[in-house]
Amino acid sequence: MSRLRDTVYYGLLWLVSLFFAAPIGWIVLSSFKTRDDILAVPPKLVFVPTLQNYVDLFGRQSLLLQMANSVFLSLAAVVLAVVVSFLAAFCFSRFKPRGTDFLMFLLLSIRMLPGPAVILPVYLMYAGFGWKDNHLWLALFYAMFSIPFSVWILKGFLDGVSIRFDETGIVNGGSWFHVIFKVVLPQVKPGLIAAFIFNLIFVWNEFLFNFIIGGVSTQNIPYALAVGTYSDGGLNWTFISALTTIYVIPPILFIYVFQKYLLVGMTFGTVRGEV
Amino acid sequence: MTRNPQAGPGAGLVIPRRTLLKGAAALGLSSAFGAPFINRLKAAEAHPLAGKKIEMNVLGIAGWLPSSLGVKMSPLFADYVKERYGYDVSFGFAEAPFADLFQKAATSLATKSQEYNIIISDSQWLGALAKAGWILKLNDAIAANKNLQLDWYSQTVIDTYMVYPDGSKDIYGLPQEGDTIALYIRKDMLHDPAEQQAFAAKYNAKLPQTFEDFDALTMDEFEKVAEFFTRPDKQVWGTAMQNSRVYDFATCFYYPFLWSQGGDIWDAKTGQVEGILNTDANAKALEQMKSWLKYQPPGATNFGIAEEIDVFQQGKVFSCFQWAAVGLAMINDANRDKVMVVPPPKHGKGADAKRIYTMGGQPWVINAFNDEAKMRVAIDFMNWWYLPETTLEYAKRGGNPCDKATLSKPEFDTINPWNRAYKFMLEPGRSRDFWHDPKYSEMLAVQQEGFTSYLTGQTASAKQALDYVACQQQQILYDSGTAKTEPTGVCGSISL
Amino acid sequence: MSKPSRAAGRPRLLDDRRMLVLVLLAPVLTFFVVFNTIPTLWLLGLSFYNYSLTSGAPPEFIGLRNFVQIFGNRNGIWFDLSRTFVFVGFGVGIQTVLGALLGFLFWGSKAMPGRRLALTLLFAPMVLTPVATGTFFRFIYDPTFGVLNAILHGLFGTQPINFIGDPATAYWAVLAVDCWMWTPFMTLMTLAALGSVPTAELEAAEIDRIPWPRRLTLVIWHHGKFILMLGVLLRTIDSFKTLDLIIPMTKGGPGQQTRLVALELNKQAFESFNMGWSSAYSVLLLLISIAMTSVFIFVLNLRRRRQA
Repeated sequence: MSRLRDTVYYGLLWLVSLFFAAPIGWIVLSSFKTRDDILAVPPKLVFVPTLQNYVDLFGRQSLLLQMANSVFLSLAAVVLAVVVSFLAAFCFSRFKPRGTDFLMFLLLSIRMLPGPAVILPVYLMYAGFGWKDNHLWLALFYAMFSIPFSVWILKGFLDGVSIRFDETGIVNGGSWFHVIFKVVLPQVKPGLIAAFIFNLIFVWNEFLFNFIIGGVSTQNIPYALAVGTYSDGGLNWTFISALTTIYVIPPILFIYVFQKYLLVGMTFGTVRGEV
Repeated sequence: MTRNPQAGPGAGLVIPRRTLLKGAAALGLSSAFGAPFINRLKAAEAHPLAGKKIEMNVLGIAGWLPSSLGVKMSPLFADYVKERYGYDVSFGFAEAPFADLFQKAATSLATKSQEYNIIISDSQWLGALAKAGWILKLNDAIAANKNLQLDWYSQTVIDTYMVYPDGSKDIYGLPQEGDTIALYIRKDMLHDPAEQQAFAAKYNAKLPQTFEDFDALTMDEFEKVAEFFTRPDKQVWGTAMQNSRVYDFATCFYYPFLWSQGGDIWDAKTGQVEGILNTDANAKALEQMKSWLKYQPPGATNFGIAEEIDVFQQGKVFSCFQWAAVGLAMINDANRDKVMVVPPPKHGKGADAKRIYTMGGQPWVINAFNDEAKMRVAIDFMNWWYLPETTLEYAKRGGNPCDKATLSKPEFDTINPWNRAYKFMLEPGRSRDFWHDPKYSEMLAVQQEGFTSYLTGQTASAKQALDYVACQQQQILYDSGTAKTEPTGVCGSISL
Repeated sequence: MSKPSRAAGRPRLLDDRRMLVLVLLAPVLTFFVVFNTIPTLWLLGLSFYNYSLTSGAPPEFIGLRNFVQIFGNRNGIWFDLSRTFVFVGFGVGIQTVLGALLGFLFWGSKAMPGRRLALTLLFAPMVLTPVATGTFFRFIYDPTFGVLNAILHGLFGTQPINFIGDPATAYWAVLAVDCWMWTPFMTLMTLAALGSVPTAELEAAEIDRIPWPRRLTLVIWHHGKFILMLGVLLRTIDSFKTLDLIIPMTKGGPGQQTRLVALELNKQAFESFNMGWSSAYSVLLLLISIAMTSVFIFVLNLRRRRQA
């Protein structure tokens, strides 16, 4: 292939990537503008950058709590979900208990319902038992929501891990505990990471459930964004852009660092190596 | 007042000595800082909560300045009770935007939660909150507290913010922020002699200049002004209203067209909507509202409160029909000298011309599930809120009180640029509120869809949109038992 | 059976296969029962009641009335469903075609400088908070202040277009944002699908000089279709649920233009608090979801059958 062709080809792909990133770039750019610059007509590309929006942002009392909530809820829910899913997926993959297909089918149906349908009975239940506005119960619910997809991904990977590993482990005198966590678990690392990231992104950005079954003490950042949109009269563009910019950094870093696993993960175990 | 008979320990009237000392120390401290409106003479009188620490949570409207004012002034209340009653109170706040706040409040109150002790509610929610038994009926509290027996500026205040069901004597709310629609005008453009000449030459009429001119102005006359200042090539438009699907935005700005020309939205007594809302006259009013879009910026069909603030602040519109409550956001340092606030124009012609605009504003309501201590603080808070000093301070910070004493003070008119227009619109008969029915949210959603469907040209005729809304609302009210009659047979065939 | 095993001690207990199965499944089953079975039964039960949270009245049993009303098109469910299915159809269709195309292009760019960064940028839209996406796109679309109209004006001299305020464009403007967000996901799935094609077979095809169209159907499609179909189905599910993108953008307006099922349900359940009616609506959506899940399972089983 000629160099020129390559250059054009790669240039084109870069343009596509930049096109998709452009709206986010515009948000990031806006976060360094004053309100008047954001609302300038025609829109300004060249302006005097200001850090005032970030100063204002961190001057908000509630922000740290909301940030901490976002981190806690995402991590707690997803770690729990991945562990639980891994055990279940191992069971489904190795022992194929009766009703495996049906159970996996049922699990997935939760994911298929629109949010308000899922949350309606859960809300009534939480209201009835006094579980609303509680970190633990909210995290557990998020975990439930993350389980189905994780089970599906992990089962795919586990199906691909030869059963000989288990047998060797058991024959050599290892307990099932040893086999599951020391022998099999490392083999499905890409699947674990993929399940982790996909669900993390979901919980990280989740708004509705937090709004309905959360409360004062469990608000996360999407909640803060939805609520802060209208602060101080008018649409608070400086706040939205600054907070969005900060908030999108962790997931973008994640997909940069774990890109390989993300791609391998989505092959549902049919590939182990580079994609 | 709903008092828990099994009061917890420490509800007695004995004040420990330490508290007295602490109270005295606080007294010294606050007088040193010269907190201006604390009645120092009555410091540390016997109070069941003396010496305690109470944490209160207020739920308010995000992005609504008067709400945040109520919140920002709460430290003054803390000083006040510390000094006077000897207890500590701190406030936590939660907020949600207009469109989601009811959702937030209701999902919490339905669990009998004390999550929010005091709530700034929108006026139309009174029914839904009261009927479910979530908020405190205030009659007893008012009877027991002289401070709460205020003379309100007009009956409109009572009808809008306090009473449910309409026309009864049951009180569930106390006005937090009074609010009416006002017309924000760029007076620098209006007072420009060149503009005046050009206007006179074009329309053979005088540009209205003063508050009084606008008092006398009709929509027909104002239309010329709006048309005159609509200059898309210069990125300036004549006016702006709220036409958005979100929450009650389009509704609040359609009703003035309807009411001012003699229309009505329902019969509050029988719950009848069909035949009252969907009249030819009301359809004509909706057509008029739509015709005003041509003087508004191109995005006007999406305009709500915030979008109007954006275009006005950025100088894209000559005028804005907008709530008096957001004056602080509409008028900032950059345009302070260029803006005046006047009554919105009358509808109709000649002597028959009338103005009946929509009420805005919010009452305080108190969570019915508060424990005794929080209930007590909530009542103390209300007592403090309506002290003349507090009310005046509120007005000075940009809020709109509703009591006659404050509004009648001569200096009130000049505290804020919009005060005169606000007071004018609060006069009897100039503003009114819509339904407080518990089914308000459903009825509102239906008509927001219907009205905006017509405003954006999806539904061809205004009559059809109103027919649809009336049928749906009749059904909603019939199902809930409020309306006596079912929707008529025509309804089956009407859609948007 | 528990007594003797317990006496035998822990290792033996876990050696018992049935016990192991139970232990492994216990967490997931607990989750499932607490957060799915109970709520779903609750939902089913409630769907036969007239229960409004704000009426102050206790739930009243009304049999099938909620369902009768829904099927009688009260509140326009057929309208919402048709809107939603069009949304899903167009959205997923565009995302799949575009995503697959981009996937192919990136597949062939292993040597591209900064490929990892370029892919990260490409995937960025799907990790942005939907609430922020919706709000900010409203700004980008704004006819007065928005950058999109400024660009269009600069390029083609067009008059400002009121993208989400005009019924002619609102629906498509929302759909476009959905495509912007989720085309990268389909690219990801395409890359994964292409990655699952055995290199040996590709090389063999290269050596045999099999023409591209046939290579595509014989080799690539044969191996990759499962993952690609999975991507399509996952997108279908998520697209069917679209909600938090629309709330900040249009709230279902103008009129009813962008009122999808999830939005209507949210309105009925958590704005109007008609819990009974909303439950019935949810049950109906659950049935639709199960139908879609079945398609999913069917596709999966196709693969399994072929492998067997």
